[in-house]
Amino acid sequence: MALVEVSGLKPFTEPSEQIFGTRQTSLVDRPNHYSFGTSVQEFAVPVGEEPAGFLESCNREGGVSIDMNHGTTTLAFKFKHGVIVAVDSRASAGRYLASNDVNKVIEINPYLLGTMSGSAADCQYWERLLAKECRLYRLRNNHRISVAAASKLLCNMMLGYRGMGLSVGSMICGWDKEGPGLYYVDDNGTRLSGRMFSTGCGNGYAYGVVDSGYREDMTVEEAYELGCRGIAHATHRDAYSGGVVNMYHMREDGWIKVCKEDVSQLIHRYKEGMF
Amino acid sequence: MALQDLCNFGDMFQEPGYLEESPIQFGFPFASSESVPLPFPMGHGTTTLAFLFQGGVLAAADTRSSCSGLVACPAAQKILPIHSHLVGTTSGTSADCALWKRILSRELRLYQLRHGRRLSTGGAAKLLSHMLHPFKGTELCVAATLCGWDGGELDDGCRDDHKGSEADDSERRDTTETPKADVETTAGAPGEKVSLSKTQSSSCTKRQCSRRKISFSGPGLFYVCSDGTRLEGKLFSVGSGSPYAYSILDQGVRWGLTVEEATSIAREAVYRATHRDAYSGNFVDIYHVTPNGWTRRTREDLKEEYYREKERVKTRGKQRETSREKKSKHRGVFWRDKLASSEQILN
Repeated sequence: MALVEVSGLKPFTEPSEQIFGTRQTSLVDRPNHYSFGTSVQEFAVPVGEEPAGFLESCNREGGVSIDMNHGTTTLAFKFKHGVIVAVDSRASAGRYLASNDVNKVIEINPYLLGTMSGSAADCQYWERLLAKECRLYRLRNNHRISVAAASKLLCNMMLGYRGMGLSVGSMICGWDKEGPGLYYVDDNGTRLSGRMFSTGCGNGYAYGVVDSGYREDMTVEEAYELGCRGIAHATHRDAYSGGVVNMYHMREDGWIKVCKEDVSQLIHRYKEGMF
Repeated sequence: MALQDLCNFGDMFQEPGYLEESPIQFGFPFASSESVPLPFPMGHGTTTLAFLFQGGVLAAADTRSSCSGLVACPAAQKILPIHSHLVGTTSGTSADCALWKRILSRELRLYQLRHGRRLSTGGAAKLLSHMLHPFKGTELCVAATLCGWDGGELDDGCRDDHKGSEADDSERRDTTETPKADVETTAGAPGEKVSLSKTQSSSCTKRQCSRRKISFSGPGLFYVCSDGTRLEGKLFSVGSGSPYAYSILDQGVRWGLTVEEATSIAREAVYRATHRDAYSGNFVDIYHVTPNGWTRRTREDLKEEYYREKERVKTRGKQRETSREKKSKHRGVFWRDKLASSEQILN
């Protein structure tokens, strides 16, 4: 850096000046990704039009309606014996079903899980980045990162790119010194701690089921049943959710993957004795 | 006619005149002022539901009437009776729904007077759907489910025999008997016990028989929307709170429910929807349509339901401490095996 300045070369800042006109101190066009912990906040932005302005022309007032719908159903709730995380497995691109067997839970490390809803690419990328940061934290500080801190890291990443078209609706679940932890993090920078969350366009259906069946002191089997029911009923009514239920249970000694149930089998089981 | 021409009245009184103008431009120069713009495109701000079961049709709805964030009325009525055996749940713009329900009641009454029998629920749904069709594309917003009990009053002869026709015919006896006298050729005399289907087939004219595919007496449930949708079904929920209600209903609704069970499922579904949806709340109305007509339960405050649930959780927690193992026997077996097998795989 010093040599670059001395020799008068400005290879990095010049393109951004040409594109954006005025000098924006914090936008650096680099092939590297977001760099956490540097003294100067730097954001990597693709070459070309300014993303926020471009996106504004894509919403309803501009006449085009590109809606970023979170086409999935994920749910997670805390109870006495940990955190249950249940997700569906359908990936849709508009009306086309890209896949019915996607894993929407990212195993960040043996004691942290992240769920994905919204844009699959964004979620996968940013949560892998979060996994990297959590690992670095562990190496630097010699103790595990707390769930609150991990969710805050993700939240700050989202805030850095706010308005630029990210679509992430994620729940960070883990077990740390304070016990089971559950946070909801959004592409707007929302970060909420709570007892139960459900994201995606099928979330309404899941909320009804889990609200009515939830008890703080459920047994583990009841919690598994509730998680499965929530996703199954949501996939039954929502077109953009389906496939299988991937369920994880976050316990004190780490998470376990409970099951991978096909939702159509589940619905048949539940509907025995009905119409 | 001559006077009309003289006064140039002819233009005004042409028969389909009011429909010649496209409704989209109707009132265009006097377009209603823009209300406060919606923050986001929202569905009909309510929760209404209806389903069929062995005891008839159950319809339930919340009572919050909202106007872009303001609760305009916490005690509105979203289930409107149309006639003695038909109720309609409303969702969308309250004014539009109330008006079209009244128009539908009027049309159904006219039909009944002209033809001597009530129009079926499907027929009423079709009528409403066709009446709303000219306004497709305008800002009219009506999403209704019609819940009714059809049939049972066509044949005067077997009234004692069939329970579906008792109470409703008292007011219609005078209207049905005179026009039907010529139609009933081989029908049994009043008081003779014949089955419903036989009497209907013998008493209807050839034209009516060909039109009517099945002589049907039973519950009917139809969803009609101002964009032209008309669907028959066994379970519907409409409104912004409908996802929350749907999952509860999907879990619990079966044909064989008793009336008390059905009421409690409907109440629970509306309660859950009002718990999560901002545009639903306050009270719950439950109507039950039977062969004898509709009955209405007293309006219940959902705030009480919330406190009752808190109590239930508290007492259940205490019960649990005494009897821990009994609960997880049935469903737990499935999961215990799965858990055991998954742990084996991991180890």
